[in-house]
Amino acid sequence: MLSEASNGEALLRRAETRRRWSLAMPALIVIALFSILPLAVMVVYSFLTPGTYGNVVWQFSLDGWFSVVFERDLFDDTLGLADAHLSILGRSALLALATTGLTMLFGLPTAWFIATRPVATRAYWMFLITVPFWTNLLVRTIAIQEVIRADGTINRLLLGLGVIDAPIQMMFTNGAVLLGMTYVYLPLMVLPVYAAIEKFDFRLAEAAYDLHASRFYCLRRVIFPLIRPGIVAGSILVFIPALGAYVTPRLMGGGRAMMWGNLIDLQFGQGRNWPLGAALSVSLTLLVMIALVLSVRRFAGGGRSDV
Amino acid sequence: MLEIKSLSKTFGAGVAAYHALRSVDVTVAEGEFFTLLGPSGCGKTTLLRLIAGFEQPTGGQLVLDGQDIAAIPPSRRPVNTVFQSYALFPHMTVAQNVAFGLEARGTAPGDVARRVDEMLQLVQMDHLRDRKSAALSGGQQQRVALARALAPRPRILLLDEPLSALDLKLRKEMQAELKRLQREMGLTFIFVTHDQDEALTMSDRIAVMEGGRLQQVATPRDLYDHPANRFVAGFIGETNFLPGRAAEGQLRLDGFAPVALAEAKAVNGAVTVMIRPEHIIVGREAPDCVQTSGQIDELVFFGTDTHVKLTLPGGASLTARAQNSLHSATDLNPGQTVPLSLPYDALRILPDEAAHAV
Repeated sequence: MLSEASNGEALLRRAETRRRWSLAMPALIVIALFSILPLAVMVVYSFLTPGTYGNVVWQFSLDGWFSVVFERDLFDDTLGLADAHLSILGRSALLALATTGLTMLFGLPTAWFIATRPVATRAYWMFLITVPFWTNLLVRTIAIQEVIRADGTINRLLLGLGVIDAPIQMMFTNGAVLLGMTYVYLPLMVLPVYAAIEKFDFRLAEAAYDLHASRFYCLRRVIFPLIRPGIVAGSILVFIPALGAYVTPRLMGGGRAMMWGNLIDLQFGQGRNWPLGAALSVSLTLLVMIALVLSVRRFAGGGRSDV
Repeated sequence: MLEIKSLSKTFGAGVAAYHALRSVDVTVAEGEFFTLLGPSGCGKTTLLRLIAGFEQPTGGQLVLDGQDIAAIPPSRRPVNTVFQSYALFPHMTVAQNVAFGLEARGTAPGDVARRVDEMLQLVQMDHLRDRKSAALSGGQQQRVALARALAPRPRILLLDEPLSALDLKLRKEMQAELKRLQREMGLTFIFVTHDQDEALTMSDRIAVMEGGRLQQVATPRDLYDHPANRFVAGFIGETNFLPGRAAEGQLRLDGFAPVALAEAKAVNGAVTVMIRPEHIIVGREAPDCVQTSGQIDELVFFGTDTHVKLTLPGGASLTARAQNSLHSATDLNPGQTVPLSLPYDALRILPDEAAHAV
């Protein structure tokens, strides 16, 4: 009797497991086909030899990975660090960090403002945040160009007012890239932070004031620790795409303020070195994964210890 | 000593204005357990929030120890609050919660640690000091909230319906414990509740509020025995109301012979007369009583006593309470008509509603 019952139970459980797997199948197939497979192709290609006109020759080689970090001198064949790559990586990381910082600076007050509006008007403000998404990224970026280029709105305005004598060079600088990326990624910071602030119980802030906390002390000890998960989520959402950003740096930075994404593009296009491009792209993925794992480790337990 | 002087609070303006508090005057004495009692929306919570500093009064003064504190922000008022929702900081441990008010003030770490230990022992939460506050039961959260509010040594402790989320048994325990703590510390408590039993058992004095006004401020006993008006009489305990007229020291309940009553000397005209169910004598005629009879409609057994619902000859209904002592004389049955005696000294004359209506 007993064993029969447990037998039936096991059968049921197996059927349940099967049912769940089959429900998850469509999603798993999409992920496998369009995410894991291309990544695998990239990994394989990074270990092959470049073809003369792009593409790859099926011959194992570590040159692609080698060139990510090192370069051979053209004349004496000595080994050196690939300064160009490293400085582009450094710039990418710095710009991505700066973008995260700036979106935080502008996004936190924005999210706070929206979350503290009356419930009825919040949807309206959130709707305004999503307006930029209606237009293609390219069009929006070109619109910013229009504002800051040599004969763009700002320069003409300043010239007209007599503030400056010659147009200020704003395009094709790190600053231009930063401006473009901050503009593009700002909503990705606002949305999770807004969600976190909206969930915040403002009676806790009242309790803090009652317990003799100043506004700043309350922000630091009560509000910030409790909305931190939203800030972390927003930072991840901004930092990762910013690190591999392609369109904005291409348009705003030109060939001078190149980022990692543009370098990858270069290897697949003009450079005709697909294995190097693949290696560069896989190394970016690895960097992001390591950074993510570290930050999750750091912040997942964030609820446990404060201050 | 806290003096509340013609304190008013109006939310909004013009036609949309809501008068949460209309010129409230009362003085809370040192070391008193003072309760604000009333139905929801009566202004009791608004009054508490004004004392805490979360709201600014639109008129009047709040004088604590001779100083008007109305303009002082909540963080610098020497009062602390136990919130209805407890509002414990979920990301902190029990000990960190209790330490918060001291640390926010910049108390030296050694003093903070000592005071936290003392407070946790006081509320018997020492063994859970490193537990996250979110992982506590309702009663435990209640204790932590109390310890947290007491830790900075407030001049007045404000309690906003702190027991309403607890189940009955726990609530009774906490009532006794709060009362004990208050008496031992000699601290002034201002306690908000809508529960009249809670107010009667715990308070030194009760302020009954309704419609943003103080209806009566008195000791529990006085409030029960001598309610100032029909609202207070109906809100505190169970009551029967009978219509009547008073003139020249005579009270005439509608349908009865006039009775000479000292209380009736002060009033003239239509009055409402109140009598508590436990004062009505059921089943016999007694001296110095208004004599009548009633038909029993319903009997509800409550253990220590039985509620007897009756209809008087005039059609008015009345509830009496018969004690279920071993020697209860009469057997009561529904449908039966029994003699009733309403003792003169149990009759309370209330100003008529028409004159009193807000």
